[in-house]
Amino acid sequence: MPGSNYDRDLTVKEGFKLSKFLIKWEMILVYILVVLNLILAIFRTDLYFTSGTVQSIINSGLDVSPMVLGMVFILLLGDIDVSVAAQMILGGMVTGLCMDAGVPWLICVILGIITCMLCGAFNGFCVAFLKMPAVITTISTSMLFRGIVEIVLGENSLKNFPKWYNAIGWKNIGGILPISMVLFLLMGVVFVFVLHRTSFGRRVYIVGNNPVCAEYSGISVKKVKMQVFILMGFMAGIGSIFFIGRMGGGVSSSMGTGYEMTAIACAVLGGVSTNGGKGKMYGPIIATFIMAFLTYTLGLLGVDPNTKKIFTGVILIVTILISTINKQMIKDIKLRLLYHNNKNIEAINDRTAEAVKEMKQQIKELQKGNASDKDAQIRKLNEKIAAAQKECAEKSAKWWAEQQEDAKKAKERFEK
Amino acid sequence: MKKLLKSRNTGLILVLVLLLVVARIVTPGMFSVMSMMNMLQNNAVYALLAVGEMMVILTGGIDISIASQLAFVGITTTTLSTANPDVPGFVWVITALLLGIICGAINGFLVGYLHMVPMICTLGTMYIFRGLAFVVSEGQWWFAAHYLDSYRFWAIGKICGIPMIIIWAVVIMVLLGLFLGYTAPGRRIYAIGTSRESSAVAGVKEAKVTFYAFVICGALAGLAGMLYTANYAIGYYGMGEGFEMTAIAICVLGGVSINGGKGRMDGVAIGMLIMAVVTYFISMIPGMSVWQKALQGSIIIVAVAINYFTERSAEKQALKERGALI
Repeated sequence: MPGSNYDRDLTVKEGFKLSKFLIKWEMILVYILVVLNLILAIFRTDLYFTSGTVQSIINSGLDVSPMVLGMVFILLLGDIDVSVAAQMILGGMVTGLCMDAGVPWLICVILGIITCMLCGAFNGFCVAFLKMPAVITTISTSMLFRGIVEIVLGENSLKNFPKWYNAIGWKNIGGILPISMVLFLLMGVVFVFVLHRTSFGRRVYIVGNNPVCAEYSGISVKKVKMQVFILMGFMAGIGSIFFIGRMGGGVSSSMGTGYEMTAIACAVLGGVSTNGGKGKMYGPIIATFIMAFLTYTLGLLGVDPNTKKIFTGVILIVTILISTINKQMIKDIKLRLLYHNNKNIEAINDRTAEAVKEMKQQIKELQKGNASDKDAQIRKLNEKIAAAQKECAEKSAKWWAEQQEDAKKAKERFEK
Repeated sequence: MKKLLKSRNTGLILVLVLLLVVARIVTPGMFSVMSMMNMLQNNAVYALLAVGEMMVILTGGIDISIASQLAFVGITTTTLSTANPDVPGFVWVITALLLGIICGAINGFLVGYLHMVPMICTLGTMYIFRGLAFVVSEGQWWFAAHYLDSYRFWAIGKICGIPMIIIWAVVIMVLLGLFLGYTAPGRRIYAIGTSRESSAVAGVKEAKVTFYAFVICGALAGLAGMLYTANYAIGYYGMGEGFEMTAIAICVLGGVSINGGKGRMDGVAIGMLIMAVVTYFISMIPGMSVWQKALQGSIIIVAVAINYFTERSAEKQALKERGALI
C-alpha cells in the first residue's frame, strides 16, 4: 500500500562533514600514530628506512592484539576481564602438553582454544549468573588459572609447538607484510562487522548502556554476558598462538604477566568507555598499533623498559581524562570559576554571548551585501553589541554584589 | 545468642579454629610462641595494606596500585636513609607516611574530583608508581648490610617481646576501626558506599569522602612500604608485586562487600588471620608452595560467592518479614 507508514524511509542520514570527521577520536589516534612515526623517522633515520624495522615494530606489538578485540566487547558490557593473560598461558600450556603427548597439532590447537573458552565460560557464569563483580571474579580467576599452570609446570617450560607458530610472530609475507598484521586486520574486519552490523553487537551495546532496560526489552542479559565472556576466552586462545609464536615457541608459568593490562590499555586508548556502552571497534585497532610504535620508539630512544611503564600509565590516564571532557564539564567549571556559582549570572552571560554572536553574523552578511545604508547599519549593530555587553557586565556585577551581601547577612544571622 | 550464631564472624572464627586444628595435626611444630609471632610478623604488612584497601572498597571503589605504592615509598625511604645515616629513624616513618599520602592524593583526586573509574585510574597509577620506583632505585638492590639499625628498629625492634611491626598493625587496626565505626567521617565512607544518591541528598560530599578514603589507603600503603623494607631488610623496585590481590582477598574474606558500604574491621582482622594461617600452613608443607596462588584464587572466589548468597538470603528474609507485616 503506497503512502502508508510501512513505506516511509525511517533511516536517519547524517551528512558527511569533513570538519567533524577530522576531529573524531579515531582520526586523532591516526594523527598520534603519524606523529610517532615522524619522531622515529627523524631521530633514528638510519634505522627507520632500513627494510624490516617497521615490520619488526608491528610484529613486536601485535602479540597482544587478539585479546584487545575481545576486551572491547567486555568493556562495552561495563565489565572488565583481568584474567586474559592467565587464560592465554593456560591455553598455551594445554596445547603444549598435548603436543608433548603426540596428538596431531590441529587437535592440540583446538583443545587449547577450548580450554580458554571454558575459562571464559567460568568467568561468565560467575559474573552473569552468580552476579559477582567482574573485577574481583577475574582477579581471583587469574590467580587460579595461573596457579594451575604453576602446579602443572612448576619451574619447567614447554618447548614443543607447531612450527607455524613462529611464523605468526616473526615472518613477513613477501618480506613486506607481517603475517600477524594481516591476520589481525582480518580478525578486525570480522569484529567490526559483528559489533556494528549484527543484532548481537547491538545487544552488547544495549546491555552495556542499561542492563535493566535491556532486560525489559526482551534481551537475556545473562545470555549476552555469557556469550561475550566465552568470546573473550576464544580470543585469549587465539592470543596464545600469537604470544607463543612471538616468544619463539615456549611457555612457562611466569610468562605474559601484565598482558591483560596492555590489552585493557589499548582498548581504553581506542576510546572504549569503561562504564560500558560507548566506543567503536576502529579505535582499539588503531590504538594497538600506537601501543606497538610507542613502546618500540621509547625503546629506540634509550628509555628502559621500567621507565616506559611511567609513560604507559600517564598516557592511559591522560587519554581517559581527555575523553571525559565534554560541554557540560566545561560549563560546570565556568560556572564555578567565572560566575561565582550564580546561575543568574551564568544565564545572562550565555544569553548575551548568543545575541552578540548573532549580531556579528549579521554584520558579516551586511559586509558581503551591497545595501545602500551598509555602514550606518553596521555602526548601529556595533553600538548594540557594546550596549549589550555593558549591560551584561553591569548586571552580573550587581548580582554578584547582592550575592555577597546576602552571604554576609546570613553569616551575621548565624553568628548571632 | 541468635545474633551471634547468625553473624558471619562466628563462621570465620570456626574456620580459623578448624584450620589451626588441622595445622596442629599435620605440622606439630607450628604451635610455639616463636613461630606464631613469626607468622604475625610476616603478615603485618598485609594487614596494613588490607585495612587501607578496605577504606577504598567501602566507598565502592578499588585500588590496585597499593603494591606499586609500597614499592615506590619503600625504595625512596631506603635510598634516603642509606644516604643520610645520621638522621633518626622516626623521620623515615614520617617521610613514608607523607609520600604515601601524596600517592593516595593523586589517586583520590583523579577518582573523586575528575570522576575516573577507580579500576582504570589505579591501573594507570600502578604503572606510574612502579616506574617511579625503578627510576628512584636505578635498578639497584639493597640487602641487610645496607640497612641501618635505627631504620630497622621501627619494624623488628621489640617492645615487651612483641615486634614493632605487629604493634603498628594492631594500633592502626584499632584506631581505624574506631574511626570507621564511631566518627562522622568514618560513617560517611559507609554512606557513599551504600548509596551515592541518598548520601548526596543528605549533604555528604562524595568527592571529598572518596578523596580522603584514598589518602588513608595511600598513607597505609606508604607506611607498609617502609616497614616491609625494614622488616625483611631487602629493597628492589619489583618488590611486593601481587600484594594488592592479597589485600583484596583479605578484605573479601573478612566480609567487606566489593560493591561498597558493607564490612567491619573485626571481620578484616579475622580474614587476615585466616589468610596468615593458610599461607603459613602451605609454607610448612614441602612441595605445597606451587599451590599457593591457585588456593588463594579459589579462596577469594568462594568467599565472594558466600558473601553473595548470604546477602541474597538476608534480602529474601527482609522481604518475607515485610510481607508478613502487610
